[in-house]
Amino acid sequence: MINARTIVPLLAALGLLVILPLFLSPNLLNAAIKMMIAALFALAFALAMGQAGMLSFGHSAYYGLGAFAALHLMRAVEHKLFGFPTPMIPLAGALIGFLFGLVFGWFATQRTGVYFSMVTLALAELLFTLAPTWNALFGGESGISTIRGPSWGINFGSDADVYYLTLGWFVVSAWCMWAFTKTPVGRLALALRDNEQRVRFLGFNTHVARTLIFAISCLFTGVAGALLAIANEAANYTIFSAQASANVVLQTFIGGAGTFFGPALGAMIMTFFARITSDLTRSWLLYQGLIFVLVMLFAPQGLGGLADLHARKVRTNGWKHLVAPYLLCLVVGLLLIAGLVFVVESIHVVLTDAYLAKRAAAKGEWVPYELFGQTFEPFSPVTWAIPIMLVAIGSTLLPVARRITARAWLAATRDVPDEPIAPSASAAPVAPPS
Amino acid sequence: MEYIVVSVLNGVVHGLLLFMVSAGLTLIFGMMGVLNFAHAWFYMLGAYVGFTLTRLGGFWIGLLLAPIVAGLAGVLVERYMLRRVHKYGHAHELLLTFGLAFIIEEVIKLFYGDALVSYQMPNYMRFAAFTIFETNYPFYRLFMGAVALAMFVILYLLLTRTRVGIVVRAATYRPTTVEALGHNLPVVYMAVFAGGSALAGLAGAVAGAFYPTGPNMAVDFGTLVFVVVVIGGLGSVVGALIASLMIGLFISFSVGLNVSIADLFGLIGLGSWASDVGGLFTLQLSTIANSMPFLLMLLVLLIRPAGLMGDRQ
Amino acid sequence: MTRTIVAATCFAACLVTSVANAEPVKIALIESLSGGQAVTGKLFQSAVKYGLAKVEAEKAWPDGIKLLEYDNQGGPSEAADKLKAAINDGAQIIIQGASSAIGGQITADVQKHNARNPGKEIMWINVGAEAMEFTGPKCHFYHFRWNGNAEIRLKAMLIAMKDANALGTKVYIIGQNYSWGHDVQKLTRDYAKEYGYTIVGDVIHDVNKIQDFAPYVAKIKEAGPDTVVTGNWSNDLLLLMKAAGDSGLKARFLAYWIDQPGNIANAGDTADGHYTQSTFFPDANGEKTAAFAEDFKAKTGQYPLNVQGHVTHAMWGLGEALKALKAKPGDKLNVKALASAMENVTVDTSMGPIKMRSEDHQALVPLAIAVVSKDAKFKADNTERGFKTIKLLTGEQASSPVQPSCKMDRPKS
Repeated sequence: MINARTIVPLLAALGLLVILPLFLSPNLLNAAIKMMIAALFALAFALAMGQAGMLSFGHSAYYGLGAFAALHLMRAVEHKLFGFPTPMIPLAGALIGFLFGLVFGWFATQRTGVYFSMVTLALAELLFTLAPTWNALFGGESGISTIRGPSWGINFGSDADVYYLTLGWFVVSAWCMWAFTKTPVGRLALALRDNEQRVRFLGFNTHVARTLIFAISCLFTGVAGALLAIANEAANYTIFSAQASANVVLQTFIGGAGTFFGPALGAMIMTFFARITSDLTRSWLLYQGLIFVLVMLFAPQGLGGLADLHARKVRTNGWKHLVAPYLLCLVVGLLLIAGLVFVVESIHVVLTDAYLAKRAAAKGEWVPYELFGQTFEPFSPVTWAIPIMLVAIGSTLLPVARRITARAWLAATRDVPDEPIAPSASAAPVAPPS
Repeated sequence: MEYIVVSVLNGVVHGLLLFMVSAGLTLIFGMMGVLNFAHAWFYMLGAYVGFTLTRLGGFWIGLLLAPIVAGLAGVLVERYMLRRVHKYGHAHELLLTFGLAFIIEEVIKLFYGDALVSYQMPNYMRFAAFTIFETNYPFYRLFMGAVALAMFVILYLLLTRTRVGIVVRAATYRPTTVEALGHNLPVVYMAVFAGGSALAGLAGAVAGAFYPTGPNMAVDFGTLVFVVVVIGGLGSVVGALIASLMIGLFISFSVGLNVSIADLFGLIGLGSWASDVGGLFTLQLSTIANSMPFLLMLLVLLIRPAGLMGDRQ
Repeated sequence: MTRTIVAATCFAACLVTSVANAEPVKIALIESLSGGQAVTGKLFQSAVKYGLAKVEAEKAWPDGIKLLEYDNQGGPSEAADKLKAAINDGAQIIIQGASSAIGGQITADVQKHNARNPGKEIMWINVGAEAMEFTGPKCHFYHFRWNGNAEIRLKAMLIAMKDANALGTKVYIIGQNYSWGHDVQKLTRDYAKEYGYTIVGDVIHDVNKIQDFAPYVAKIKEAGPDTVVTGNWSNDLLLLMKAAGDSGLKARFLAYWIDQPGNIANAGDTADGHYTQSTFFPDANGEKTAAFAEDFKAKTGQYPLNVQGHVTHAMWGLGEALKALKAKPGDKLNVKALASAMENVTVDTSMGPIKMRSEDHQALVPLAIAVVSKDAKFKADNTERGFKTIKLLTGEQASSPVQPSCKMDRPKS
């Protein structure tokens, strides 16, 4: 499994991550921290989902509990009740996540499929309801706030310190999870997903196995929550919201639940997307929704699944066939997106109160509106021509691009039988047959 | 006495409203097994269609067209989206509909703004149906209850007494057999999804005129509709009705009960200890009444996972 | 691949910031501009823009001011990220208000930032987070609250209703089960003796989860109150008012937030006769407030409503504090000096003067108490109803005492 072909890029990526803070602006550094936390959360979630087929709708419960466990520990240190090294604080999240994962998981894993999902959802929702009223534990509406103490000679005041702390835990946790999938229990998880009945006939206690796997997933979820608590130095009850649970599911599937690193990729991309676009447009949730729908429709195996597909099937020199078609696809996509964005943002601007006030001032005239630093006349043919042209060219090219890409794909891939890439595709990185 | 009668009345009507919103999901989730997260957003769509048409043509036109618009939207969603991802499993369907929920909500917000819109019932429907213990009972609450009951009766008869209903029910148990018997399964699925969406749309147009119609109206029901269907038992219309009524009555009565777990401990002489512990123990039932459906769902899932009236696991 | 793009963007961004000089003061608005609470966030946004336009026009700061807008997506964790982004973008003044939960995150983060970066302080201008604790146990030198709080608003309504003989002697409290609802509940109990009423019952319920308030109204009706005090907002208020109106409940409401957009249009006649209050109503102070309202409408498209009065005033207060520093072009803003100036700032508004109280950084805001009526001069939500002011209280009259829990830690200068 571990050979030079996998270890070298991994080491290179790790090295890059280590020197990254030197190049990042403070904003991007903070974004990188949150992306890693989201990635860890998604990896932990995918451990239950991708490996054992347990689709949890309530993982925010363990994320939040991990965060609050870390906060209480930090508070105890802050008030000098006892000493505890700051870099080891995520252990509290791990412990609490694991314990609650065991208890809640024992109940939840009595059921399978949709029923399992509903149990996890109900547990998280109950926690979400109780948390704001339980002041002593969760600090009411404004939550609990504390401060990172210095330890091991490090101040932990700057984002760079937090970055390395997060990176350390991310790498260690990711490696542990990857290693876990190679252990007998980890292999059992795959078997549970694919055919639980047969596993039971083989003499395993499937309930215990599922509980254990769920709890381990919750353990790393707790670590992610604790890292968030360390980064924000605060948390409130909204961390338990169904929204948080839903986000991790979405990110995991955008990234591809069937691959090991896909979920991390999806989480990083979507976290970054939300961060950037939310300050650019008020309609970013619409675009996010479109991404979900488009990925589910056209790349159901997720981004990681696509990458995996390419890694397995494209011949060594096959990429030369693919570059041009993919560029064409990119252009077509950009054209369509640009047209759509133009329409959405124009509607948004024209319907704002500020624009209506301008119209009122101009006695109901359709005054020009501003968008992307340009001025547009609402009824000028130019204004209408832009999106129409963009979409028209885009949609004319779309079938062409699809045809060309399909042909290029045939040329670029080697003659291996086309196995279906369902979400249940093997999680292990598949070595190319030589 | 007064309290009991009023509470029963309120609970039943609220339960019927819940049923109205989740009735469509008993078909979509309960029968087809599609985790349609966007169901509550079809309800929202119905309310906004009702609002728009009330302004343009009148309340009743809105009521008539809202289910049609929602149903057509359902056809498009099923035919061009869900059908493509069905083979990948529950999670993909859920995520697709999750994205759809975002899209529906944001597009509505794009055109109607972030604030509530003023969707009102016609004035001639705004009167007290009767007065009970000096409390006026609004006619419109009864109207909503009646619509919900009508929905139930029609659904029930449709599913149990007609050929279409038999095919639909059979399709949920033995899809391949149904197909082998010459029924067009994709069309059946599309019709069921469209029907479910239309019901949500109708519920939106009816309830939206009584409850605030705004961008958050779908989120409020988002997961609750699943709770109703799960408690009732997948695929059971009767179960969904019973579950809705149970939840409605439970909430209605628990509002008046200021008891907490600490009080229960008080019965065995540990009251003061439990009060000192605080948190969970001192929460009064009335303050968490509306979270009870989730507790109820938890109990049902752990004790009788098939739900109250369901027969499948 | 992505990383090179990231690095490149960063490089470009660094270039841009280093080139500019004679920088304007950067002010960051961190509000919920998307998602479920966007409607509130956008109220703040337009009022901040309107208020700052005047500050800029008056050249309160010689090199000008620049507003940066951030969407906190309605969550404290995202707000923490956006606060960091704002600081990194050079913002020295943070404006936020739509949620006390987010306010809690911001106030703690501002304190930590200032502790870690002496000489690079930032300040939080609170324009809406109303929880008592911000001017109580959590008060600090770099926080200023320009809006009311649960106590100020309650007291004002009690004074006005007592004067108008509308209070009655039996009061019922219904509220939401979190810190705000608990604050209102406790204060209403505390003031019972002073204003001569008894509490005939109270109930606390889940926040924005209830679809049907009829059971609660049945419970209220049983207790037979003259007045119902509620701090409910959004759906919880609207549904409560509608359920009460529909059932023929005779009690009048003393409700904090009837003036949120959409409420009047949706509640219809069930809102009639209920009392509310605000830091601004267009008819509160004759010509003066009317003129302000018209100007506001001409610029933003609607009359100032709900929070928009005091948000605008807060921006003007910031302008006055900036002016007091008497800076010359090229000067860099010293936030410590600005905070010291703001401690004693007074700003003249159409509602009357607003003074910042230095002991706990709670502004003494004038409050107008109004009743929902068809006779109102200015209509709300394009309906035939509006808010008819019955009394205008000055900031001093409406003020509440400094909470003893506030220990203000002033930097030695």
